[in-house]
Amino acid sequence: MISIDNVSKHYGNFQVLTDCTTQVKKGEVIVVCGPSGSGKSTLIKCVNGLEPFQSGNIIVDGISVGDPKTNLSKLRSRVGMVFQHFELFPHMSITDNLSIAQEKVLGRNRDEARGKGLKLLERVGLKAHADKFPGQLSGGQQQRVAIARALCMDPICMLFDEPTSALDPEMINEVLDVMVELAQEGMTMMCVTHEMGFARKVANRVIFMDKGQIVEDDSKDAFFGAPRSERARQFLAKILQH
Amino acid sequence: MYDFDWSSIPGALPFLWDGMKISLEITVSAVIFGVVWGTLLAMMRLAPVKPLAWFAAGYVNVFRSIPLVMVLLWFFLIVPQLLRSFFNLDPNTDVRLTSAMIGFALFESAYYSEIIRAGIQSVPKGQVAAASALGMTYAQAMRLVVLPQAFRNMVPLLLTQAIVLFQDTSLVYMSALADFFGAAYKVGDRDGRLVELLLFAGAVYFFICFAASQLVRRYQKKLNAHVAH
Repeated sequence: MISIDNVSKHYGNFQVLTDCTTQVKKGEVIVVCGPSGSGKSTLIKCVNGLEPFQSGNIIVDGISVGDPKTNLSKLRSRVGMVFQHFELFPHMSITDNLSIAQEKVLGRNRDEARGKGLKLLERVGLKAHADKFPGQLSGGQQQRVAIARALCMDPICMLFDEPTSALDPEMINEVLDVMVELAQEGMTMMCVTHEMGFARKVANRVIFMDKGQIVEDDSKDAFFGAPRSERARQFLAKILQH
Repeated sequence: MYDFDWSSIPGALPFLWDGMKISLEITVSAVIFGVVWGTLLAMMRLAPVKPLAWFAAGYVNVFRSIPLVMVLLWFFLIVPQLLRSFFNLDPNTDVRLTSAMIGFALFESAYYSEIIRAGIQSVPKGQVAAASALGMTYAQAMRLVVLPQAFRNMVPLLLTQAIVLFQDTSLVYMSALADFFGAAYKVGDRDGRLVELLLFAGAVYFFICFAASQLVRRYQKKLNAHVAH
């Protein structure tokens, strides 16, 4: 489904990603973790071309992301993405947030788009808030709407970029619950997150990044059981301390 | 002590009102054109295509570095002849109003484009990323996501600029075009009551502009309350 092959990226002299290689098969859930500044968000944004990269290849569902001839908008409409800061459109109601891209990008008619939006809103447990504006919802609710918005496009896979990092602790679980459910239904997911509980529960593999490199790319059990690298061990020791 | 005599004002009101209509016409047309052309200039200036950005930057810098009076004067001297030769107009057709409108519109666009550029840049980058991630093209992201938010933030500044513009329309008096100020001046000159007429005109300008800026202020408060929500 997603194949990342020797991807490197630099801003001027600063190397952000160095020779990153990994694969995500259909139905797999991959968790990407690592210290801040390790390039994990950049890597995930390369997958749908939000960040350009200088060398290597990324193939999503047979389409090369780095190829200048690729219609990136079309590809992105099939790859869902959820951001750290939700990025709902604050000037639109929740219903419009859910239907605008369905109408303008996929060409669905208004009723169809609204119906789909409401169905997914119900699924994330927020049907009662359909007519509100994003500013009237809590962070956790906004993020659930953002997940529903991405799902409205019937994505072939989902990218999560630190979806719970900007949330108050008591709101993290409501978002993770939605993600766990999604994973259990067989959605292909690539998640940048520090939620190791989530990783243990649903991840097939864990990727550990440091200084722009993929240091570990292991099955969940191998990673949590006995990480091979010193850096991964230190990282885990720090975040699992409490 | 100077003896005030306000008696020439009531009879001149219809003439003054005609002048006010000209002032408002110039203001409204310049605001509309200025916002449309200013938006295009702002988008060019932010575009990744270098020549477009250079053109927009050059335009804005030229107009912002020349006094408005001079721009208007050039337009009074040049545009009437251009219009006449283009449209084969009778040499007696009065095109002063049209040339004033064009002059103001082109001049104000430079200022509006800077306000609009700041407005576009005030929208978080993540909004464009989110719109792109949903498959929107750059143009769709601008039109559906960025510009509506930018304009909501900009409305107070755009209106304040419109109030300044309304006052600046008085500069057309030098083409002998009877805008509100020009009309007041003519009446005062005719009746030898220049002081009264100019005081009256000043009071009207003050009343309109002060009331308008109070409305803008109120709107801004409402907007801030909405954002804080």
